[in-house]
Amino acid sequence: MAKIIVVTSGKGGVGKTTSAAAIATGLALRGNKTVVIDFDVGLRNLDLIMGCERRVVYDLVNVIQGEANLKQALIRDKRIDNLHILPASQTRDKDALTQEGVEKILIALREDFDYVICDSPAGIERGAQLAMYFADEAVVVTNPEVSSVRDSDRIIGLLSSKTRRAEIGESPVVEHLLITRYHPARVTGGDMLNLTDIQEILSIPLIGLIPESDAVLRASNQGVPVTHDQKSDAGQAYVDCVSRLLGEEVPLRFHEIEKRSLLARMFGGGRK
Amino acid sequence: MSLSTDRAPQAFIFKGGMLPMTVMELVSGDPEQIRAQLASKLSQSPAFFQHTPVVLSVEKLDEPHLALERICAVCRGHKLLPVAVRGGGDPVRQSAWALGLGWFPPQESRGRTLESVPPVAEPVAEAASAIEPEPEAEPVHASKVFRGTVRSGQQISASDGDLVIIGAVNAGAEILAAGSVHIYGALRGRALAGIHGDRNASIYCKELHAELLSVAGTYKRLDDIDNRLLGASVEVVLEHDQLCIARLN
Repeated sequence: MAKIIVVTSGKGGVGKTTSAAAIATGLALRGNKTVVIDFDVGLRNLDLIMGCERRVVYDLVNVIQGEANLKQALIRDKRIDNLHILPASQTRDKDALTQEGVEKILIALREDFDYVICDSPAGIERGAQLAMYFADEAVVVTNPEVSSVRDSDRIIGLLSSKTRRAEIGESPVVEHLLITRYHPARVTGGDMLNLTDIQEILSIPLIGLIPESDAVLRASNQGVPVTHDQKSDAGQAYVDCVSRLLGEEVPLRFHEIEKRSLLARMFGGGRK
Repeated sequence: MSLSTDRAPQAFIFKGGMLPMTVMELVSGDPEQIRAQLASKLSQSPAFFQHTPVVLSVEKLDEPHLALERICAVCRGHKLLPVAVRGGGDPVRQSAWALGLGWFPPQESRGRTLESVPPVAEPVAEAASAIEPEPEAEPVHASKVFRGTVRSGQQISASDGDLVIIGAVNAGAEILAAGSVHIYGALRGRALAGIHGDRNASIYCKELHAELLSVAGTYKRLDDIDNRLLGASVEVVLEHDQLCIARLN
């Protein structure tokens, strides 16, 4: 039986799809059979980040409406054998998703996989609510910025009321906080909220902290999840995050200003 | 402001209100005995006798024909202002009306709380214990307790009594209570106490960052709050139609 994990945030542009792709990749690299589903119907992005946009034939909506079966719609990742992608439809809108349809797909995937990662659309409407509805765990992606923190707070409220687990009174959805685009120097300068403030407001356990990094943009544009870039700080931070999801204890990194040597400063070796 | 369907200007508005009222529970109907006791009280705590409105309760008395007029005169002579009589039979009611006083029916259920007041007490304590809401006031309701963080977009309300939050109230969240609001955590959202007009309701919080504070409809926004009070443990009460925020220390 797979664990269903939703990657959500409320606010758009904070790194949900990047994180869903990176976490799914990390789980698969650790030997777990993983599928990542794009719930952002109408604004399909996950296929680009995963680099499989040229191989999309059928999508989530096709499966829900019975125009294709699940096997036809699942795309196998070209780098990792036990990683699959279920893309969203670009031509339909979010009303094409039904709760029964989503449930049927998740029940089927649950049998075959170890982890099902649901990449939620932004907002708190139907698409976002369906992405979180069947979740066992949630990764709440937050930027060190006030509006992002407030939207995440709203989403955490919905996780405890608008999910299947909340409605049938089962043990609640396990919530994890993932802070992305963290820039220690700007935090120290007071431009960004610091880690403690965010944790105090959201009061859910931290699963990872991803530093602001050029590697993320590069990875997105190349269609290779940043987890594969093990030289980069962001790639290593996602590996740490996956380890913690698997229950391991890993010390927090990248939350303090990096002490750079005199030579590095002279020759301007930036972050990779 | 009030909403009105007819456009004619209004001379007045009827409003429900609960005012603190001193009840003078008569154990004896003898005006001279009352005069003697009032005289000794007046010397102990003169501040209490400032034309204070009182309700004369005759529930404990078994005298069908009470010398109400003389008792009222004794009270007025000691700067107490009888405004109404509570309890007694039909003759008492008729003479109260004849004297221009209101009449309240006897209240059966709450007699117990009055009996529990020790007969001999400090003057100040006695004055305080005599203050109770109007007889029509709703019975006291249990507090509602919420554990955990109240998050943006969530609303928790206690429409009968007090509301206790054991946790933080985040920005964008709203908590409301007919009575007082107690927050054992940071208050970053909106807190409204006395939503049905109870002016004695108050707000208590461990860390003040509130977007909005309101007691019985009188409110303060974050912008109106003194910066030095931000982050402090405070109590918020309504005084002279203004919200007063005081540190709890």
